Amino acid sequence: MEHPPSSAPAAFFFWRHLNLLRWLVLSLVFAMLILLPYVSLYQNYVAGHAYDLLTPHERQIYDAMEWITAPIAKSDPAKNLNAIKGNTWSGTLFGLALSDPLAVVGQIAAQMKIYWPFLLTALIPIGLTVLFGRFYCGWICPATFLYEINDTVRNALRRLGLLSSGKRWDLRLKYLVLAVGVGLSTVLGTVVFSAIYPPVIVGREIQYWITDNGMGVGLTFFLITLLFDLLVTRRGFCRYLCPGGALYSLLGRYRLFRIQRQVARCNDCTLCDKVCQFALQPMRDGFGQECNNCTACIAVCPTQALTFHVQLADQPYQGHGHLGAAYKRLQLHSAVKEELR
Amino acid sequence: MHKRRTFLQMLGYAVASLSMGAADTATAAPTATRAMRYLRPPGTGPEGQFLTQCIRCGQCGQICPNQAIRYFGLENGIYALDTPYIIPREQPCILCMQCGEVCPSGAIPRVAREAEEIMARVQMGKAVVDEQLCLSFQGKTCGVCYRACPLQNIAIKVGLLEQPAVLDGCVGCGLCERSCLQMPQAIRIFPPKQETAPV
Repeated sequence: MEHPPSSAPAAFFFWRHLNLLRWLVLSLVFAMLILLPYVSLYQNYVAGHAYDLLTPHERQIYDAMEWITAPIAKSDPAKNLNAIKGNTWSGTLFGLALSDPLAVVGQIAAQMKIYWPFLLTALIPIGLTVLFGRFYCGWICPATFLYEINDTVRNALRRLGLLSSGKRWDLRLKYLVLAVGVGLSTVLGTVVFSAIYPPVIVGREIQYWITDNGMGVGLTFFLITLLFDLLVTRRGFCRYLCPGGALYSLLGRYRLFRIQRQVARCNDCTLCDKVCQFALQPMRDGFGQECNNCTACIAVCPTQALTFHVQLADQPYQGHGHLGAAYKRLQLHSAVKEELR
Repeated sequence: MHKRRTFLQMLGYAVASLSMGAADTATAAPTATRAMRYLRPPGTGPEGQFLTQCIRCGQCGQICPNQAIRYFGLENGIYALDTPYIIPREQPCILCMQCGEVCPSGAIPRVAREAEEIMARVQMGKAVVDEQLCLSFQGKTCGVCYRACPLQNIAIKVGLLEQPAVLDGCVGCGLCERSCLQMPQAIRIFPPKQETAPV
């Protein structure tokens, strides 16, 4: 398809494929959450020297895990596989301990003092969030993986005319949830976020399902958030209620890497507005601190008008896209006016 | 910590007494000490302190090589939700101390896997022998609990007819309780009496 020549360069070709890469990362994180409890079971079997005593089902787990983890486990799975443990709330990735900044904030609030070794594990995530904003929400969060699938279902139901367009509230509601959560953690003396934060719930419930007595209370809570997103408002929990999203939005407020619209290449097609699950309206330059750099809008843009910029603030609304009909009409009007004068 | 919880309890009692319209608040004094019926992973501090530190990440359960560490649902109240516990009759702690190594938040401290370190810093509970149930006290020489103990003659000793006597060195790992031949078990681990969170 030929496009009229334009003053702005097309977005770097690879940015269009970031959305696919993102789905790969999300799937990988989710797969790890399922894999790690099985690895843990495998380590238990190894530690127990119990292969001959295992049931056929357990032997399947043993054999599969032995095959999958062979490159990492080497000769001593009971010890070497300890290098990968945990979930997105807090975990060890090949010996590097990483924690969710919200876990650290919650714990500091609960015990009213700082445990430094724990704070240090959140430094890399905090640094990345300062640079990339809410990227955790779009690229890593295991709940996002399910919420986006949920949103696809929602879109299908909407096309069938079964759902209305959804409610809109103040996006700052989630900062209230964050503040109340910090306050409650201090008053109650316990990390309340761990009970209401979807990614940790997803990780833990998968673990309970595989190694413990089956899924528990968290599953109920998570299903309610799914229904909330489906029936009440699009991606409602992430946008209005998630305390982690609130924290990341605050940390990433002055982020360096931002998606921006190049007005000279935009044709006002509104595809980006439709694809944005956070309802941010890229076509009106409305990214703000809510954008989680999911790059779905870049992938969907037919004129490569959306691209990454390194700058501390968003551009204010730039007006109609220069390839769109409205802009051309305006140009024509002013040209005619010139002529008449 | 203590103050906050007491304040909250007072608040709760105030609300409860107001809503019930009962003037009999004098009898409703909160009792802070309740017996815990479960063990926490080895090395953890008092229950109240543990609850402020634990972030419920589930790594201790993932690393435990004996599958001893399980997680609470709501059965022990909202405070204990998703926190780790050990029921030694089901799966005892083998004092490998790996949970302390993996715990990111300091709720389970790092304790070296050496007898002196463990004896000094681990206090999951104390074994208590029920002489009514114990086979050795019924004249049937048993001694299984003594042989299961990782700290023999420090945590437990046996006398005539292998009759067990628990010593001060017991750290409460529960290997004796797990191994007891009697049903119900004649030796049990009792966690230390302490302030627990309101349910």
